[in-house]
Amino acid sequence: MHLKPFVLTALDSATSGGRRYHVWMGGLTLIMLVGAYAYSLQLRYGLGVTGMNDHVSWGLYISNFTFLVGLAAAAMMLVLPAYILKDVDFGRAVLMAEAVAVAALVMCLAFVVVDIGNPLGGWHLMPGIGFLNWPRSLLAWDVLVLNGYLALNLAIPFYILYSRFSGRQPDKRKYIPWMYIAVMWAVSIHLVTAFLLAGLPARPFWNTALLGPRFLASAFTAGPAFVILLLWFIRRETEYKISEGAFAKLALITTVAAQINLVMLGSELFYKFYSPTHHGINARYLFFGLDGHNALVPWIWTAIALSTVATIALMIHPVRRNPRWLIPACAALFVGIWIEKGIGLVVPGFVPSPLGEIVEYTPSLVELGVTAGIWALGMFVLTVLVRVALPIELGDVRSPYIDERRVTTIVRPRSSRPPRADVRPVRTR
Amino acid sequence: MRFGRVLTALACVALLGTSSACREREGTAKGDRAELGTQPGAPVPDAARAQQDSVVATRVDTAVSPGALGTVPAAPVDLWHGPGDRPFEVALRTGDPASAMSRRFGRITLRTSLRTRAADLGQYPCTSCHLGRRIVLADDRVADAHQNITVVHPQQTGGTCSTCHAADNVELLALKSGERATLDHTYRLCAQCHFSQAEAWAAGAHGKRLDGWQGRRVLMGCADCHDPHQPALEPRIPFRAPRIERIRGSGK
Amino acid sequence: MTSDPTTEVPRDEAGQTLLQKRVDRRRALGILLGGAAAGTSAVAACAPVSAMTPESKEAKLLAWREYIKGNYRTMTEAERAETIARLERLAELKRGVDVTIQSTGAQPGVVFGYGFNISKCKGFRSCVEACINENNLDRRAATQYIRIFEMEDGVIDFDHADATFQHEVPAEGHFYIGTQCFQCADPPCVKVCPVGATWQEPDGITVVDYDWCIGCRYCMAACPYWARRFNWDEPEVPAAELNTNQHYLGNRARKAGVVEKCHFCIHRTRKGQLPACAEACPTGARVFGNLLDPNSEIRWVLANKRIFRLKEDLKIEPRFWYFTD
Repeated sequence: MHLKPFVLTALDSATSGGRRYHVWMGGLTLIMLVGAYAYSLQLRYGLGVTGMNDHVSWGLYISNFTFLVGLAAAAMMLVLPAYILKDVDFGRAVLMAEAVAVAALVMCLAFVVVDIGNPLGGWHLMPGIGFLNWPRSLLAWDVLVLNGYLALNLAIPFYILYSRFSGRQPDKRKYIPWMYIAVMWAVSIHLVTAFLLAGLPARPFWNTALLGPRFLASAFTAGPAFVILLLWFIRRETEYKISEGAFAKLALITTVAAQINLVMLGSELFYKFYSPTHHGINARYLFFGLDGHNALVPWIWTAIALSTVATIALMIHPVRRNPRWLIPACAALFVGIWIEKGIGLVVPGFVPSPLGEIVEYTPSLVELGVTAGIWALGMFVLTVLVRVALPIELGDVRSPYIDERRVTTIVRPRSSRPPRADVRPVRTR
Repeated sequence: MRFGRVLTALACVALLGTSSACREREGTAKGDRAELGTQPGAPVPDAARAQQDSVVATRVDTAVSPGALGTVPAAPVDLWHGPGDRPFEVALRTGDPASAMSRRFGRITLRTSLRTRAADLGQYPCTSCHLGRRIVLADDRVADAHQNITVVHPQQTGGTCSTCHAADNVELLALKSGERATLDHTYRLCAQCHFSQAEAWAAGAHGKRLDGWQGRRVLMGCADCHDPHQPALEPRIPFRAPRIERIRGSGK
Repeated sequence: MTSDPTTEVPRDEAGQTLLQKRVDRRRALGILLGGAAAGTSAVAACAPVSAMTPESKEAKLLAWREYIKGNYRTMTEAERAETIARLERLAELKRGVDVTIQSTGAQPGVVFGYGFNISKCKGFRSCVEACINENNLDRRAATQYIRIFEMEDGVIDFDHADATFQHEVPAEGHFYIGTQCFQCADPPCVKVCPVGATWQEPDGITVVDYDWCIGCRYCMAACPYWARRFNWDEPEVPAAELNTNQHYLGNRARKAGVVEKCHFCIHRTRKGQLPACAEACPTGARVFGNLLDPNSEIRWVLANKRIFRLKEDLKIEPRFWYFTD
């Protein structure tokens, strides 16, 4: 009944905005077009146009994939206290976090698709007409959990927003069980992705029990850090008020996770370097270079420097509470973990090869173009989702079909302005 | 490689002919590949004939396509057996004009007929000089006459020509037992000292094998790879190295 | 040679029926999609249909049928024969080559094993050459299944080995050790494939269905012996150098974006021949045979020689043993 106005409102929200908004979306569209062109080259000429090779058979795409899975998983960290522990501070942050999860998942799936050599054979994965090697293949698990997580993260916010839009209080009995599932699912998508790598004895760099926990720790660092950046931006640009308390709690989560992440990194380094076995050779390549091959050395040290400095900064209370410091620290953490858990995790698994050959990896222009395009796509999706969710959350837009007489049951709009119910969905601003 | 092609082609032809037999060949008689190994018209000497061969060098001169496999049955040798103690029944691969080996080691010139190893010496039969005369210790005159022979092996081991060659017929090998073997059966001579190699050779762990893992085996003889006078394999330039870095794709 | 394709014995009956069901459903889908495609092409082809030769139309139709076909493992005998006929016809239409694709199944009572004599190998790389020619390996990317490593006497250390040597061999003070797919008994590459495009045959050969592979390269990450290769570009083999004696699971034409690997020359070994590398080796360093036959050469090597395997600690039981004289 309210679906048509909901869609119309959503479209309206997503397409209207100031000049800066249009420039931003236009810019993203441009980058996406560049990415699409790059991908068309890749489709036409094969993956040979990337920098990958038989030695380093996964590159920038899968690196971004592993990182973004973490980002998607981390969003749920905010859901738990908000919906289940009824933490009011988080109430407003949660929908944004779920938008981040959806955008991150869209990017994840896009990165997997562009990494596949024979994407037209994608139907081979579909149970029923194809063959999904489940439960033996961890990649089959990953396909399932990622799509399931995407479905959950689309369905739950949609239900909540749609209820609000149609003037009803979302029924907790209907969504709270799914929330529980989604929270566990969030952990699972990340563990499954970690196990995907950790389950390969062929690659000692990944084949460590700590990889799963490290994935979680780094995800719970980068995820909330990114959400802080997003909320800060929303607070600055819109009327959607996010309390200091939410920031404080997010910053605290980020800090604790960053500390754990550093501890785990240190533990990994100790294990690899105190008694350097042959299994540590990939780590040696990553951190110090091997036989003059050191393409990743500056990257990983940059990442470690960023993470360490940011973590230490966040541990100082006044610094953490001051947005002037909090924001750069979060940005530093985000970038640091993107390097550490992206390129810094995937590529050294392949260098040197299991037979000791060293082939270094440099992404090609096409690869960079596709990657940029997918990031633009993710940001585009995120912007649209936030843009759609905000007015509904603010109570600025409502379904025109709400029966005003029964409006007593609905949540009072958080905005001070009273809702207006015209025939058409209406933007009050 | 050309040799490999021909071999494959021949194998296919033979298999087409005997395809039904081949499918159920598992565990059947070892001789069912005989057609593959021995071309029509090539000699298939029986045991008695082989015995005779080991005494008198018979010239086999049947025309077959170049590169074909010629085989003679290995003579039974005491003391060592094939895998699983089965009687040693492998066939010998004989001088094969177009084979990779003969090209690479450059000892056999190109011919169009199938010959046994003894027959390979046809261009310079030893008997054209050593006509019933007893051969003597290597001296300068011998060296002048055999410039293509570097006698590393006999000298290093303190041997002379007659350690291996029959004194009255250089084309026959003199075994310690007093028996004589043709040049087709060099392994009988070599095995007298190199028994562990001979055992491994018979069993499959030494020497090049051709054709199949199933059914009758085709082996190369000792002298097919090792120059008896200079047994170490000669160094050579290998086939091209792999390119470790991928050749960057440029598209079509 | 397409006649008499021997059936792979399914591992369990339940799996077989389940898989069979999938095929049927996929078939139905194929027919549906095919109808839709035919409809759209009829509309779209109004103008250019005259420009299309019957050959290119046939090739398009065949390519479409190939696209919707199933996994080789789940195909019936008839479907296998059909796809092979299509592939042979496509090779003729597209490249003008007359290839013969076998579907020979595994012989009962046979599991292949390989021995590699590191005392004998002299680094000539004749095996590499033979492999390239036999298996139609991509000439432009210079794909090679076999790597020969030159190592200094005294220690087996791949980190300090050199595979790119190009000098007179054997070099003083060095020995040579070759690697390829070791056809593990518990192959990690098979376990990880999300679509079941790679599997182990009853005779122990791990094969790839090139038309079912989606090119995710997880198997390449999973292989501890670096035995798998990816077709980063469209592979190229000059028609004159093409080995037309092919096997569906072996050396038939691959396409861009799929993984391939050594298959112990399945088109040769299933007919009793040696793999091309073993036959080409001039030093006899390579021993091939049936592990289940106590009288085979490989069994003799295992029983009588000092043997070792690479990375035994991974417990994936490679069927490739190194030995010394």
